[in-house]
Amino acid sequence: MMSDKPQVVNEKKITLPEIFWAYFKVGLFTLGGGFAMAAILRHELVLKREWISDYEFMSEMSTATLIPGAVAVNMAFLQGRRMRGKSGAFTASAGVTLPSFLIILLIALFAIPYFQHPRVKAFLKGCSLAIAGQIAFAGFIFGRKHLRSIRNFFICAAGLIMILVLKAHPALAVLTAGFLGYILCWQRDKKEVLKKEG
Amino acid sequence: MRLLFRLFKSFMLIGIGAYGGGLVTIPLIQHEIVGTRGWLLFDEMASLLAIAQMTPGPIAVNAATFVGFRVSGLAGAAVATLGVILPSLSILFCAGPLLDRFKNNKHVAFFREGLQIGVLSLLFYATWSYGCMAVGSVIDFLLAAGAFLTLILSEGKFHPIIVILICGVLGIFLFS
Repeated sequence: MMSDKPQVVNEKKITLPEIFWAYFKVGLFTLGGGFAMAAILRHELVLKREWISDYEFMSEMSTATLIPGAVAVNMAFLQGRRMRGKSGAFTASAGVTLPSFLIILLIALFAIPYFQHPRVKAFLKGCSLAIAGQIAFAGFIFGRKHLRSIRNFFICAAGLIMILVLKAHPALAVLTAGFLGYILCWQRDKKEVLKKEG
Repeated sequence: MRLLFRLFKSFMLIGIGAYGGGLVTIPLIQHEIVGTRGWLLFDEMASLLAIAQMTPGPIAVNAATFVGFRVSGLAGAAVATLGVILPSLSILFCAGPLLDRFKNNKHVAFFREGLQIGVLSLLFYATWSYGCMAVGSVIDFLLAAGAFLTLILSEGKFHPIIVILICGVLGIFLFS
């Protein structure tokens, strides 16, 4: 399955440094990952540089969210591959990852001593409480969207029980929920098909 | 060497579990880095997440670099960052064309629906576990609840980073 031919749709050849620089810039100037980055990437790649079409962009975004991991990195990999094959894929992923790596490294090298300063500490404490609110908000929005059937309630409860009662690794709970969802949705689908057939 | 290997393994697990990225990585980091490994104290992790949210780039990558550096210097930072992006890149590398072909397949859609609900339980769990550790007083609770309500009432018009910064500034007045 590894013999994928790079699907270059563009006649003009995009060089690797160009790809690297485009993704580096996006990585450097986008606050927040994933979907915040998607908007900027679309602007840079689809509208400004016309390296890929809007349809391809959307299609790759849905593939990027299909698998685990940072959505921004997944997207870079897929788009890079479309533009320049495997080398493009790795160049784009490196380009989008490197800025945050370097920035955090600089902070870790030079800013850590200041974390103990009372004002900085108080500031960070305020920030971390906002993040608690942000997590609750994400749960709320996501829950409103997905908890619309008994089946989904059941899957969600099963995930929580795995983490809280069975003390399973959270990653394992997500995977289990995936399988559970698969089985239950499949059953639902079978029933619907039976109904249709009479 | 063993430490580096452990770092790599921990962040690979985080990379696998972080379905959808972003905030979903927080419970995984808390479980793996603060709970199982004890590499950071909760407060250190909370500060790190605040910084990860305020600096460019995915939270998972930022957190990996930071924790890796704290645990084992430059090599640790590199190994942890690589660990967190490797699972998804290897899936894409090996199964990319397959994914493209099957992403509209109904069986894939079923599995995906389940994964999303799993992520939802992870978010509920994170609200509880992170909240319990972060909130220590009534003022703490009010600040967190205020952030929550601001985000809900503005329906996404307020960028989360603005809310985080405002709470940080309020924190300076409240906690120092």
